[in-house]
Amino acid sequence: MEEFKIGLCPYCGMGCRFYIKTLNGQPIGIEPYPGGVNEGKLCPKGVAAVDFLRHKDRLKKPLKRTENGLVEINWEQAIKEIAEKLLEIREKYGPDTLGFFSSARCSNEENYLLQKIARLLGTNNVDHCARLCHASTVVGLAQTVGAAAQSGSYTDIPKAKVLLIWGYNPSETHPVLMRYILRARDNGAKIIVVDPRKTGTVWFADMHLQLKPGTDIVLANAMMHVIIEERLYDREFIMNRTKGFEKLIAVVQKYTPEYAEEITGVPAKLIRESAITFATAGRGIVMWAMGLTQHVTGAANVKVLADLALICGYVGREGTGLFPMRGQNNVQGACDMAALPNVFPGYQKVTDDEKRKYMAEIWGVEDLSSKPGLTIPEMIDAAAKGELKALYIMGENPVMSDPNTKHVIEALKNLELLVVQDIFLTETAELAHYVLPAAAYAEKEGSFTASERRVQWNFKAIEPPGEAKPDWEILTMLGKALGLPKFDYSDVEDITREITLVAPQYRGITPDRLKREVMGVQWPCPSEDHSGTPRLHVERFATPDGKANIIPVEFKPPAEEPDEEYPFILTTFRIVGQYHTLTMSNRSESLKKRWSSPYAQISPKDAEKLGIQDGEVIRIVTRRGSYTCRAVVTEDVSEGVIAVPWHWGANILTNDVLDPEAKIPELKVAACRVEKIGGC
Amino acid sequence: MEKKLFINLGRCIACRACEVACEKEHGISFITVYEFRDIAVPLNCRHCEKAPCIEVCPTKAIYRDEDGAVVIDRSKCIGCYMCSAVCPYAIPIVDPIKELAVKCDLCAERRKEGKGPFCAAVCPTDAIIYADLNELMEEKRKRKAERIVEAQRKAVETLAYFG
Repeated sequence: MEEFKIGLCPYCGMGCRFYIKTLNGQPIGIEPYPGGVNEGKLCPKGVAAVDFLRHKDRLKKPLKRTENGLVEINWEQAIKEIAEKLLEIREKYGPDTLGFFSSARCSNEENYLLQKIARLLGTNNVDHCARLCHASTVVGLAQTVGAAAQSGSYTDIPKAKVLLIWGYNPSETHPVLMRYILRARDNGAKIIVVDPRKTGTVWFADMHLQLKPGTDIVLANAMMHVIIEERLYDREFIMNRTKGFEKLIAVVQKYTPEYAEEITGVPAKLIRESAITFATAGRGIVMWAMGLTQHVTGAANVKVLADLALICGYVGREGTGLFPMRGQNNVQGACDMAALPNVFPGYQKVTDDEKRKYMAEIWGVEDLSSKPGLTIPEMIDAAAKGELKALYIMGENPVMSDPNTKHVIEALKNLELLVVQDIFLTETAELAHYVLPAAAYAEKEGSFTASERRVQWNFKAIEPPGEAKPDWEILTMLGKALGLPKFDYSDVEDITREITLVAPQYRGITPDRLKREVMGVQWPCPSEDHSGTPRLHVERFATPDGKANIIPVEFKPPAEEPDEEYPFILTTFRIVGQYHTLTMSNRSESLKKRWSSPYAQISPKDAEKLGIQDGEVIRIVTRRGSYTCRAVVTEDVSEGVIAVPWHWGANILTNDVLDPEAKIPELKVAACRVEKIGGC
Repeated sequence: MEKKLFINLGRCIACRACEVACEKEHGISFITVYEFRDIAVPLNCRHCEKAPCIEVCPTKAIYRDEDGAVVIDRSKCIGCYMCSAVCPYAIPIVDPIKELAVKCDLCAERRKEGKGPFCAAVCPTDAIIYADLNELMEEKRKRKAERIVEAQRKAVETLAYFG
């Protein structure tokens, strides 16, 4: 029998809806759903979203490492052994030797449960991959405007008169969002793109500021220098709604466009022109993604963009806003649910005695740890040093996704217990002591929060394969086996209801409502009769005094700069037809054959110097490792820049140096050299 | 007038969602996205009004269906590829299994169910639209008129401000 079930795309953070078409309970394809934020439209990954569900590689039974490698084991035994081992390690070395990687690929309920387990075991060592993408945003926006989320909605985009798209390439990472961007352009908006590469988004731009990787602060400061010098800032907004403008004036004074040209490589004239265009538009939106955040100055980069929007008054009004674009389907939700080492659900600090007491009471314990936990890179380092003994990883693949791959593998091998819960045997799962088979998106229920704070229900369309179970079920079993209080959830909605109790932003977002309202609800939603909040900061900012903080920042160069031995700057990017560590997308034949293999973009001048032909095989070498791929000679990158899609394991090259505030690694800049190998 | 498939080169972002969608529907993609510097061209059968393929087909395997789509009757096709040779866009290709000419049929199966071609249904930026030309142009004219009104209002506001 053919059926259509409403699905929620498992790929990026856009939050697209579609129908999952099933035949006798098997997924056979997708069909446009006439509604949702995507208005029925989809990118190639969305069109191919059911392809990996019934792939032969799906994990179907729990596995345990023995002398003969990974062998099948039954669920009861696996959960019992994992729980015993976790408790044994906690007993022997203390709770802070346990670590948990939660996942922006999993539902709010699942993230909520995993951080709850960590906290009830006595540690705040819980984090997820937002650390590698938007940790800078979380820190930078918390300090400036007080809320680490997209301030407006997608529907604000066509109402803007200028879009400043910084370190972000929606044409490949959020193709459906380009729908809104092109609508803005139809309505006469100017589009300014800041990117070291000439991307597909640049095709539609009025101005392209092709800066040298890692020089974002200089460029933004120079734009603010022009705006201040020409008195184009929004005086009233600055006076009524912000603090710190005077300090900004002092700091940006020396960042003249001419000075910025020397450092960024962007012509002074263009900086001036784009600053004036931006400030005089009247309504503007700033969008950014990994190109801005994955730097040793990631948090500062976000602050400087927030400053730029604030001095122009582009926050809290129609057609304006700060738009950090989320790369995974539940980055926002995983942050909201506190899969972060320093906060409880709803961004309530673990160091706040009152909040901690409240959480402890709800969770049925005396007290909780007030010591902020370790972030992902810190847990990896602690594992390498032998300070972290056990790591429980749900739906993440750090061997491929984290910088400096060799270091990650050594760290994971050093653990006494590594548990990986996933849908495929990933490169990380191959190293695990226990592998638990999880259900994929279409095989379970729960809520997910898209980029514009939109919480949507994920409906179940098909059964999981073999013995695979939804992550929330696995975590409930584990919680019970660990003897944790109040882990008697009978269905996922029990957990959703607990979230409404715990996270203030989610108070009115009940499971019944989400099932009824397919379009979802945008948080904050303080009560059940509240319609949700499409726009933040309308009257006051989420700071204690309601005013936004303009925080000036000085430029600091990237951690690694080119030298004689490593004369090029390596930067990474993503492509439309593959997703992250390839786990899901590369198991679709349609995607795999179109986006088939790794390559590196190199400028024609550099290629000529090195005698490299287009399509030739080259080796890229950094201080951390080497990587072989095909050369693509293109004017899309400037001289001195080598750009690689990161999906095929390019993180063997990248630098694991961290931003001191956000603890995000500098994945976007490394010094490298290029060696000609020859052959095609 | 029947609906046609329109391609707006100024909106294609080269995401190739159309290719994947076409492949899902037909097992083989009848649309290809060619990427160049600053622009991409999604190319498929244009279902021409004066279709040379229909005229040249020796077995009359190619005909126009009730919706105006140019389609191939597989039972009549003999695989001579005269259609490919005369097509201005070189569209009909070889079915790798049956070794007969195949091409875009504007998703005949979907049309029977009242749905449009899959490529247009998914295209994120409306670079591919399945529509009636006159209705499409009317809509476009209206949007342009709205823009004129907006510009006019702005000009009046500016005058008032300086006045």
